[in-house]
Amino acid sequence: MSEHTPVISLQGMSKAYNMGEGRVQALSDASLALPPGEMLALTGPSGSGKSTLLNIAGLIDTPDTGRYLLDGEDVSQLDETCRTLLRRNAIGFIFQGFNLVPVMSVADNIDYPLFLAGINAGERKRRVAEMLEKVGLREQAQRRPDALSGGQRQRVAVARALVKWPRLVIADEPTANLDSHTADQVITLIRELCHAEGAACLVATHDDRLSTRCDRVLAMRDGYILPDAPFTHLAAPAVAA
Amino acid sequence: MKWFKFAVLNTLRNRRRSATTLLIAALGTAAILLAAGFAEYTYQGLAESAARDAGHLVVARSDYFQHEEDTPLQYGIDNYPALRSRLLADPDVRYLLPRIQFSGLVSNGDKSVIMMATGIDPDSEFLIKGPFLNMKEGSLLSSAKSDTPQILVGEALAKTLKVHPGSGLTLLASTTDGALNALDVQVRGTFSTGVPEYDKRALYTDLETAQRMLVTQKISQLGVYLSDMKLADDDRARIEATAGKGFTTQTWRDQAFFYKSVRELYNRIFGALGGIIAIIVLFVIANAMSMSIIERTREIGTLRALGTLPQQLTRIFAMEGAVLGGAGALVGAVLALIVSVILLYAGIQMPPPPGRSVGYPLSVSINPLIYALVVLGVVVLATLCATLVSRRSARKPIVEALNHV
Repeated sequence: MSEHTPVISLQGMSKAYNMGEGRVQALSDASLALPPGEMLALTGPSGSGKSTLLNIAGLIDTPDTGRYLLDGEDVSQLDETCRTLLRRNAIGFIFQGFNLVPVMSVADNIDYPLFLAGINAGERKRRVAEMLEKVGLREQAQRRPDALSGGQRQRVAVARALVKWPRLVIADEPTANLDSHTADQVITLIRELCHAEGAACLVATHDDRLSTRCDRVLAMRDGYILPDAPFTHLAAPAVAA
Repeated sequence: MKWFKFAVLNTLRNRRRSATTLLIAALGTAAILLAAGFAEYTYQGLAESAARDAGHLVVARSDYFQHEEDTPLQYGIDNYPALRSRLLADPDVRYLLPRIQFSGLVSNGDKSVIMMATGIDPDSEFLIKGPFLNMKEGSLLSSAKSDTPQILVGEALAKTLKVHPGSGLTLLASTTDGALNALDVQVRGTFSTGVPEYDKRALYTDLETAQRMLVTQKISQLGVYLSDMKLADDDRARIEATAGKGFTTQTWRDQAFFYKSVRELYNRIFGALGGIIAIIVLFVIANAMSMSIIERTREIGTLRALGTLPQQLTRIFAMEGAVLGGAGALVGAVLALIVSVILLYAGIQMPPPPGRSVGYPLSVSINPLIYALVVLGVVVLATLCATLVSRRSARKPIVEALNHV
């Protein structure tokens, strides 16, 4: 894998869902490539196919047609176990609703992906502490998520997504439930950490504040990535050293 | 350990539901343990009673156990002293109780009634077996010589014949040659065995009187008492070999028809009861787990997205089931232990069972092996139940799980 190999390369992705007696085309012939360190925003109205594309890129859903290369490897035909292991090691998720495990402390939530990956306890402890420091939640390490504000919870989710040094971060509306000030902090955090870790980040958002902070923006409508969509390089992709 | 901690924390999410589930598991476990303990106590009591009555082993002529006798003691043991010497040489043999079983009529002059008589060695019999007869009037037999042979009469038989200690009766029975013999005896006491039907016919006399009655030196059988009842099965073959050719040995279990039938009946009753309780407990655990899993569908989707394998999720739910079942089973075991100890000291009497005239103490055995098996059984069943309930949810499509409302 060369330095210029895209982290993900989606080619001709299509996906349709059964809806009642009919069939809805959620994604049609979508293609995109995402180099290391780049933050790409997918914008568009509800039902435009953003989440479907995110789900396929995050290996939590399968396309009907198309080819998916992750770090140059074709992962389109992998079985569920291999996809799970790939998600475990290479993909971080940030959800709109935070999706933290309520019975685990902040530190345990961040530790969970490392535990799953089979990293030893000492290394896990070091990396969790480092990540807590980065997201500014060291004092809240032993608190439960329900004792945190929305912004703090999303920071925990960001830390959980990035603690395992993933190749790809999938963020679905990460600022939708946050006030503008907090959203701004979270956007900065995601951007800085992704750049620092060299992780490619694919973000689905309605939030202009977020999309304007991304390196590139793709608009979607009715399952298509619009050819005349604003294609903006807002910032040069920062490739991890 | 992390998985286990996670499972424990999950059971604490909805404390009221978990507490209810745990309580039902505890009550179910306690009910099973108490029922099993009661059955065990009953079995022990009946086994000890059977072994005490017949002997840990019973030695007789082979034909005695296989054929009906045409004349009294047709298959009796004719050289008892020699047999006694041989058997007492065995290191495990503690006591020998010779017995003569015979039947005939007992008469007060006006009325004759069928009797089932047993000739015993009075001193040894009452010494070894303890107070196995509930004396109603008079006193026990003794080997002391008296002018008139002495007998003990069943309470109902005494009532039928209108006799009391000191009254005279006549025994009529066939001798070993088939001739009719009669013997005047004196009632020394009346007793109750607790079985009214038996008390209408039962009569005890000493061995010498029975032999005089039957005109023989034979005995019917020999009860062998070992140093430990548990040795009966192991020692059986050796004792039989020591007795010599032509003798057969049975264990107390072979003789204990009442014990066997009660055990069979109780096993079925308490087995069915235990099965029903176990099913109820399992349904409660399954229901609690199902609700918990449905509530956590989005979390399941999240954990799957983070890279948790379905089998790892199933393992977490299985552990939750084990934690709930295990905690419930332990609480139930403690509860059963407390109730058992209370019953031990409370001295509550059960009413007489059908066919009996005396009740028995309500007591429950505390058997560590049964406790361990029941607790383990509840844990295993709860674990299996949680595993089955969670399998489908753990394999639900991630997108579907994440969008669950």
